[in-house]
Amino acid sequence: MSVIDALALPVLVLTPLLVGVWLLVADRVGTPPRPGTSRSLAVAAAVLVAASAVVVVWRRPEIDLLWIESLGVRLDLGVDGLSAPFLLLTGLMAVVATLVPYHHPLSDARLGEPGRHEPTVALPVVGTDVPRPRALATYYACLLVVVAGSLLTFLTRDAVVFFVAFELVLIPMWVLVARHGDATSAADRDGAALRFLLFTATGSMLMLVGILALWGATGTTDLSRWAELAGSSLASGTQVVVAVILLIGLGIKVPVWPLHTWLPWVHATAPTAGSVLLAAVLLKMGAYGMIRLVAAPLPEGLATVAPVLAGLAVTGILWAGLACLVEQDLKRLIAWASIGHLGFVVLAIAAGSETGLQAAIYGNMAHGLISALLFVLVGNLKHQWGGADLGSPRAALREVSPRLGFVLVLGMAAAMGLPGLAGFWGEWGALYAAWEPGPGRTLWWFRGFAIAAALGAVLAAAYAVRVLREVWAGDRRSPAIRDTRGVELGLLSLLGVGILALGVYPGPLLDLTAPATEAIIATLGVGR
Amino acid sequence: MNDLLDLIGWPWPDWDLPSLPLPDLPDIPLPDLPVTAAQVMILLTATAGILGLAVGRRSSRPAAWVAVLSSGLVLLAAVWQLYAVYELGGQQVSGTVGPLALGELEAPLELSATRLSALVAAVVSLVALVVQVFARWYLWFDPRYRQFSATVSLFTAAMLLVVLSGDVLLTLIGWEVMGWCSFLLIGHLSVKDSANRAAVKALLVTRLADVGFVIGLIWLAAGAGSTSVEAIIEHWTGDSYAALGVAMCLVVVGVAGKSAQLPFQDWLPDAMEGPTPASALIHAATMVAAGTVVLAQLFPLLQAAGPARLLLAVLVSVTVVLAALLAFAQPDLKRLLAWSTVSQVGLMLAALTVVPGGTGPDVAIMHLLSHAWFKALLFLTVGWMGVLTGGTVVRYVASATKRYRSLRRPMGLGLLALAGVPPMVGFVSKELVLAQAEHGVQDGVGPAGTIVLAAVGASVPLTAAYCMRAWLILDRGPIQRLQRTPRRAQEHQIIDDFFDEPEVLEEAIGIEEAESAISSSARTAVALLGFCSVVGGILVFTPQLDLHVSINLQLLVAALLLMALAALAVWVVSRGVGSRDAAARLPIRVSLAAERGLGFDALYRAVVARPVVALAHGVQWLDREVLDGYVRGAGHAARLLGGALEHTHPRRPAPGLVLVLAGVLVLAVIGVVLT
Repeated sequence: MSVIDALALPVLVLTPLLVGVWLLVADRVGTPPRPGTSRSLAVAAAVLVAASAVVVVWRRPEIDLLWIESLGVRLDLGVDGLSAPFLLLTGLMAVVATLVPYHHPLSDARLGEPGRHEPTVALPVVGTDVPRPRALATYYACLLVVVAGSLLTFLTRDAVVFFVAFELVLIPMWVLVARHGDATSAADRDGAALRFLLFTATGSMLMLVGILALWGATGTTDLSRWAELAGSSLASGTQVVVAVILLIGLGIKVPVWPLHTWLPWVHATAPTAGSVLLAAVLLKMGAYGMIRLVAAPLPEGLATVAPVLAGLAVTGILWAGLACLVEQDLKRLIAWASIGHLGFVVLAIAAGSETGLQAAIYGNMAHGLISALLFVLVGNLKHQWGGADLGSPRAALREVSPRLGFVLVLGMAAAMGLPGLAGFWGEWGALYAAWEPGPGRTLWWFRGFAIAAALGAVLAAAYAVRVLREVWAGDRRSPAIRDTRGVELGLLSLLGVGILALGVYPGPLLDLTAPATEAIIATLGVGR
Repeated sequence: MNDLLDLIGWPWPDWDLPSLPLPDLPDIPLPDLPVTAAQVMILLTATAGILGLAVGRRSSRPAAWVAVLSSGLVLLAAVWQLYAVYELGGQQVSGTVGPLALGELEAPLELSATRLSALVAAVVSLVALVVQVFARWYLWFDPRYRQFSATVSLFTAAMLLVVLSGDVLLTLIGWEVMGWCSFLLIGHLSVKDSANRAAVKALLVTRLADVGFVIGLIWLAAGAGSTSVEAIIEHWTGDSYAALGVAMCLVVVGVAGKSAQLPFQDWLPDAMEGPTPASALIHAATMVAAGTVVLAQLFPLLQAAGPARLLLAVLVSVTVVLAALLAFAQPDLKRLLAWSTVSQVGLMLAALTVVPGGTGPDVAIMHLLSHAWFKALLFLTVGWMGVLTGGTVVRYVASATKRYRSLRRPMGLGLLALAGVPPMVGFVSKELVLAQAEHGVQDGVGPAGTIVLAAVGASVPLTAAYCMRAWLILDRGPIQRLQRTPRRAQEHQIIDDFFDEPEVLEEAIGIEEAESAISSSARTAVALLGFCSVVGGILVFTPQLDLHVSINLQLLVAALLLMALAALAVWVVSRGVGSRDAAARLPIRVSLAAERGLGFDALYRAVVARPVVALAHGVQWLDREVLDGYVRGAGHAARLLGGALEHTHPRRPAPGLVLVLAGVLVLAVIGVVLT
């Protein structure tokens, strides 16, 4: 093993963590670093993360350290086909989130007058605290810690470490929303942050209970051992109970209907980078957890609750699609669209076939890229528009800012699952998997779900063209906004190319994940 | 009477189509290239779509070069493919990005070029080339020419993918991409709200019908465990399955949506908001015809699925007649062509439902090709005319071919072919459809045959009627109104529809105006389509089409007589109308209803759009007030509890906390030392 192999894994985990902690401390001790300094430091760390993620996926190094001996908890890090795409996505999103321009939070005072001039003197209105430079170091620190936590979640092969890493991302994310989110009264920053904390903390607690139950039954916290046992040490009744607890806990994170109500609020408030990380990485942790902690170790439990899970997923698809037709806030609309897309992912997981798992992973990756693209775009629009309300008259994007307009067309086409773009394979695969579900699933229930989900895809087309008609088309040319350029244009192009590449050439990603999904489905027989 | 019958040799025997031997093609050795023609065609058009967007922001010139050159190369590749398929026989299979690792499902994603698909691909690329050349002129001053030509390239790529697909997944990809491109093309003038609305309507109506298409194809693929068309046909024709009927019915629903058949037909006339080259592409050779192509690929399954065939027969038969009637009453010539497209596509699909056992879908494909030529010709000529006359409604276009003589020939050829007058290609293909329907009835294809025969029979005089109407308006002598005095006013109502009497032009000036308006390349392109519309019928005598149809001569003569009678009737009715518009005699309520497509738009809104939006508002309310209400409640409770506890607690850390921290430190040190 060469030096690079040996170093890649520690660098991958420790860089964002250490740089993040250093920024956090530096922000509070002595003179805080200038915003430019913290940004470049964070970007450098993110680039290093992305590079080492590629090396790790390519060379597959492993680390196995004893952490808590008495509990048998190990710091056992490694990559398999399942976690590899998630790791790459996180690396990419780290770069995107740190590079995306920071916009000062909108507040009522800043938007106070119709002319939208910045007040010269800070008015004593709630939520006017414009972050001082010192807060920016904390902002970048939070982004990096979220990245570190997500990487550890995807890398670890130990359930307790998984839980710890899962928890690690909550507080920094909360800080991002509560301190750097938009503070207008409409955005309800406090309410959003509170919802996020309440929901995810509840979810984590349930997940911990589930992990402990599995630990008790199997006597180990090793995830690969759990997958090998495939539930053979649990009675089927217990399997169902544990699966339900875990699914509720993870379902909050995904989110699955009806546990989704926090997501539109948080997205509407969160800063652009926060939205990108939330949609493209944090939500994926829920779906990843569903495969790692439920589908692999508790196949029978999942099979029993699968119709309910799939039903909830499909309800979510339709619910979100309908909500998008009348939602008046563009950023909330994108958040709703996310709920719909993850509905397809959960439907595919519930179907319990190899096709389903492949589709679920593919759908996750596609959604990561698409939502990141849309959030970067909408973040820009919201900043320039001074709000994301669709009701206000705006200049038609196609007329005044053709590049943004093009990206919106691409993003909306991808969001409706247009073939040739990334979203198609995951959605079509989910429909197929639901139509032909794995063993132990009630066939005609799932076929009904497939039809309902196909109708949900029509709703996706409807809201996509609704957004295009309201934002992109038309003849208004004022108030003019600036077209995208510079770093942001680069990011949008990168994400756009990624979406097109995944859409046109799905082979490599499917091949990457195929062995892992095959293994999960192959162990299904072991438990019986 | 009997003598007379004897004299003409009644009853006439059926006439079998002679097969002309192809002249010996030069034996060009087919080089063993790493790519096949099918791959080249799709790759080239798709790349042209992306490249066209990327090049030259300052000028349209580079984009035009990319678009036209790539279309030309694609046409060459299509010819090469025709030759290769002819020489090697059978089907040419080539891969794309597959096979995909989709778990239990096999997805080889292969292209397959067969005798028919190679032929259709060639015609599609020909029409695409013509459209690109024409658009270069038509949209010369359009600041978004670049986007337009790129979208047309992408659209062509999608259609070629559908035509050459050997895998239902590829078919679906092309199918959906075409839908999206049609959205962009119809809404090209995005500053116009009517164009946006038409684009949205086209996308949503077809997308809704596609639910059937997607589920139907998934069902077929799930049965076979593979998405390859070959495997699917092999699996489902091996046994008789009840599921096959349902699955094919679903596919038929999707086809009805894309091909604008009842009850989805209303998106197509609205789609005329798009620029004329887009209309020519969408409504002649590509999107609306894609349904025929897909059903021809799945032809053995359609044959085996009785219910699906019956459903298709009923839908298209009603559509054929209804759309032809509506076409007659349209006040706008472009909308007349739109409705005639609906009717003609119905004819293609009808030909698929009455195929006697043992024969293929060749008749439907022949009508597809013929329609592609003459309809593209008509659309492009109408576009040219619109530029000259300033619009396509009757009052603008009256006397157009008299004023601008250069329009006379392409317009006349197109209308003759559409009406099915011998020896135009439209005549040949329509007679074949009619003959096939008659054979189907004799062969016992069931009730579908009778319905289809009746509808096809009825469409013959109806088509002739609206073509005659259009021609009478276009070819009206400009001074006619002045010389007529009302005679027999009681029986024969004179209608003066008060349009702007065009200035009497010198013939030479009109010709000069018409020809200086258009570029020579666009004009050549139109002439090429006119040529195809005249001689295209020869195709049926070549081995490219495998027709086992014998023509019933009585039926043929009857059809021609009906056609002539209908045209005569229209001519009689048109006398005494200022614009020579026979439809002016229709009651105003009828023409209004026809213009609005019988109120289907209102029906869509009432049945689908409004309930869905109402449901969406309901969902929004439920989400905000019920689901989120619990969460807000929990949040408030937590806040209150926290606030209450805060009061019982000092707000600053107590000094004792330092001691506690020190204790922790000591414990830690002890721990480290002891281990």
